[in-house]
Amino acid sequence: MLTVEPAPSASPTPKRPIYESSTQFRNWRFSPEQLSQLRSTLNASAVAVIRNTLENEKPGSSSVVSFLTVEEEHLLVKLYVTKITQLCGLFRFPEEVEATAITYLKRFYLKNTVMDWHPKNVMLTALFLATKTTNNPISLEAYTTHIPKTAPSDVLDLEFLVAQSLGFEFAVWHSHRALWGMILDMQNIPDCPSDTKPIYESALAHVRASRLTDAELVYTPSQIALAALSLAAPEVASQWSLSKSPSEPSSSLLSSETLHAVVETIKSLITSAGHPPHVEAVREVDRRLKLCKNPEKIVGSHAYLAKKAEEEKKAEAKRNKKASETSQAMKDGDPFGNELIKAPIGLVDYDDEDDD
Amino acid sequence: MDAVEKANLERQKRWAKDQKVGEGAYAVVYRGREFATGRKVAIKKIKVGQFKDGLDMSAIREVKYLRELRHQNVIELLDVFSSKTNLNLVLEFLDSDLEMIIKDRSLVFLPADIKSWMAMTFRGLEFCHRNFILHRDLKPNNLLVASDGHLKIADFGLARDFADPGYKMTCQVITRWYRPPELLFGSRYYGSAVDIWSVGTIFAELMLRIPYLPGESDMDQLKTIFRALGTPTEEDWPGHTKLPDYIPVGQFPKTPLRDLFTAASADALNLLNKCLIYEPRKRISAKEALFHPYFTALPYPTHPSKLPKCTTHLSARALEEVDGNVEMNSTGPGVKANNSRLKRKLSSPDEDSKARLIARRLDFTKQTPHS
Ligand SMILES: Nc1ncnc2c1ncn2[C@@H]1O[C@H](COP(=O)(O)OP(=O)(O)OP(=O)(O)O)[C@@H](O)[C@H]1O
Ligand SMILES: [Mg+2]
Repeated sequence: MLTVEPAPSASPTPKRPIYESSTQFRNWRFSPEQLSQLRSTLNASAVAVIRNTLENEKPGSSSVVSFLTVEEEHLLVKLYVTKITQLCGLFRFPEEVEATAITYLKRFYLKNTVMDWHPKNVMLTALFLATKTTNNPISLEAYTTHIPKTAPSDVLDLEFLVAQSLGFEFAVWHSHRALWGMILDMQNIPDCPSDTKPIYESALAHVRASRLTDAELVYTPSQIALAALSLAAPEVASQWSLSKSPSEPSSSLLSSETLHAVVETIKSLITSAGHPPHVEAVREVDRRLKLCKNPEKIVGSHAYLAKKAEEEKKAEAKRNKKASETSQAMKDGDPFGNELIKAPIGLVDYDDEDDD
Repeated sequence: MDAVEKANLERQKRWAKDQKVGEGAYAVVYRGREFATGRKVAIKKIKVGQFKDGLDMSAIREVKYLRELRHQNVIELLDVFSSKTNLNLVLEFLDSDLEMIIKDRSLVFLPADIKSWMAMTFRGLEFCHRNFILHRDLKPNNLLVASDGHLKIADFGLARDFADPGYKMTCQVITRWYRPPELLFGSRYYGSAVDIWSVGTIFAELMLRIPYLPGESDMDQLKTIFRALGTPTEEDWPGHTKLPDYIPVGQFPKTPLRDLFTAASADALNLLNKCLIYEPRKRISAKEALFHPYFTALPYPTHPSKLPKCTTHLSARALEEVDGNVEMNSTGPGVKANNSRLKRKLSSPDEDSKARLIARRLDFTKQTPHS
C-alpha cells in the first residue's frame, strides 16, 4: 500500500526518519482504494446491525428506511470538519489544535460510522481532546458554556470512545508545519523572492483546503505541503524540490518524476474536493440520518433501554459469581476457625473494585 | 458491541493484573503479566472519573509521547486500554530506579558504573530531544532500571514538544533540586538545555551519593546553586537579570568543582561542568555529550548486566513508603547527608506532588493557551 514513499524532508533538521517511525506513518496512511474499501465495509456492517435491531423492535420496519450511503456519510463528516474551523475561530485556538481535531474526526470515521455516532458530538469531543493533546487545554466548563446547547457530558461521554478509536495515538504530523519548514528553507535558495509572506499565506490557504479532503490519510505532510506550495507558486515549489533532491538519500527518495506525479494528484484533489459541502445537500442527509440512526445509540429509545438492561444483567451475574466465589473461599477455610477466613478477604484489592 | 469497544476489550484481555506495587500522584501501579507469554509488566491505572475535565493532562502527555518513542533507554509503552472510568497503561516492568540505587548504602559505585548510567541517560535523552520532546521532570526517581541493568527514562507526565522555538511554556516544571536557574528565574522560552541541567545534577548525585543541590524553597534553590557554582555574572550569562522573576540572591564566589568532587576524573568534571553552564545556549547538548571524551576514555562504561543492583525491589519499597516506614536508623556518610535523605523522604515527595499539581492547574488557568 505504501508504494508512495515520503517526500523530501521539510526542514533543515533530518526529520524524515523520525516521521517514518511515527504512529501516523505506520498506522494512518492508506491508499485511496483501501479507504473506500474500509468505508464500504463499515457502512455495510452498520446497516446490517441497525436493520436487525429495527426488525427486532418491529418486524418489517427496516424495509422503509433508506440508509445512508458511504458518500453521504462522508459528506456529513466533511460538514463537521468545517464546524471545527468555525469553533477554532471562536475560541482563537492555534492552528495546531484545529488541524489535530480535524485529523481526529477523520480517523474516528475510519473506525466508526455516522449512523452509530453523529458527527456533531464526536466533533465536539475531538476538538476538546485536541486542545489537551496539543497542550492548549481549557476547562471543560469554559469550553461548553461557549458552545450553544452543549453540556459537559456531551463532550466527556465520548472521550474514551474517541481516544480508543484513535488507538490512543494522539501525535499528529501536520502539513502546515511542513510548509513552514519549506518557507524557512527558501531563504537559502539563491533566486527566491525576498518576501515569502504572500507565498506562505496563499500556500497555507491550500493546506487548509486540503483538510477538507482525504489527502492526509494518503500522503505525507511534506507531499501535501509541496502541493500547496506548488498551487501558490509553482516555480518556487520546483526550485525547492530541486534544492532538496541531491542531499536526500536515494533509497527512499521518490524519483523526481514520481514526486511530480504525486504532487499533481494532490493538487487536483485539493482543487476538486477542497471546499465545504453544499449545506442543502447535507441538510437532506442529516434529515434521513434521523430515521436510520442506530436506535441502540439513542438515549431513551426502546432499543437503548433493552441494551442497557442486557448489560446490567451481565454485570449482575458477574457480581453474583464473584460474591459466591468469595463466600465459597470462606467456607473452605471454615473448619479451622477464623485465621484462614481472613486470607481471601485480605487479598481483595479494594482499589480494584470498580474494575473489570 | 462496537468494533472499537470490542478491540479495546481484546486488548484488555491480553493482560493480567496482579498486585499493587506503588502509587503515584495520579495513578496506581500494579504488577501484571501478558497472558500469552508470561512476560512481566507494570499496569498504570489512571482514574479518569475524578477529573472534571476528562482525561488528565499528565496521562495524555504520557500516552502521546510514549506511543511515539521506541528506544532502549526509554520506558516502553506496550499497550493502552480503558476499563470503565480508568485508563490503563501497560508498561515494561522495571525493578528499581536510580534513586533507590543511590540510596542503597550497601552498594559501592565504581567510576565505570556511573559512566554507564550516564551514557544510558544521555542516549535516552538524545533520542527524546531528537524527536523534539522535552522531558521536564528528570530526576533519579524517574530513571528506572530493568532487571538486566538497562536504564530507562520514565514518567513523561510533564513532557512536551518544542518544535516551535518561539513558544511560551510554563516554568513550573522539573522537581526543584533538578531545576535549572533559567526556570527559577521564570524564563518562559526555553529548550532542551533544561533537561541537560537536570542530568548534570543527577551526575553529581551519582558521584556524591546525596542530592547535589537540595534547596529548601525556590528562592533557596537559587542560593544553593550559586553557593555551589558561584553567582553568575553578566558575562557568564548575558541577559539573565532581565528574566521575568530575576531577583538577586547574593554574591557567592566560584569554587572549583574539584573541591567537592575529589575523586572524579578530569573528563568527568569537564562534562559535569558543561551540563551546569549557566547560559542555557552554551550548555552541552545530549548529542554532544555522547561524543564527550569522558565516554571514550578509560575506564569503559560497565556493561549494564554488571551494574550494582538493589537488593530490595521497587515494589517492596513502594509499599513501605505507603505505610510511612521511613528508615530512621540507616547509617549514612555523615549528619548532613543523613539529614537530607530524611528530608527527601519525608517532605520532598509531598512537595513534588504539590509542584506537579500546580503545574497541572496552571495548564487550565493560564491566560495564554500555551504552557
Ligand atoms: N514500569 C514500572 N515497573 C515497575 N514499577 C513501577 C513502574 N512504574 C511505576 N512503578 C511503581 O509505581 C510507583 C508509582 O509510579 P508513578 O510513575 O505513577 O508515580 P511516581 O513517579 O512515583 O510519582 P509521580 O507521579 O508523582 O512522579 C513508582 O514509585 C514505582 O514504585
Ligand atoms: Mg515519577
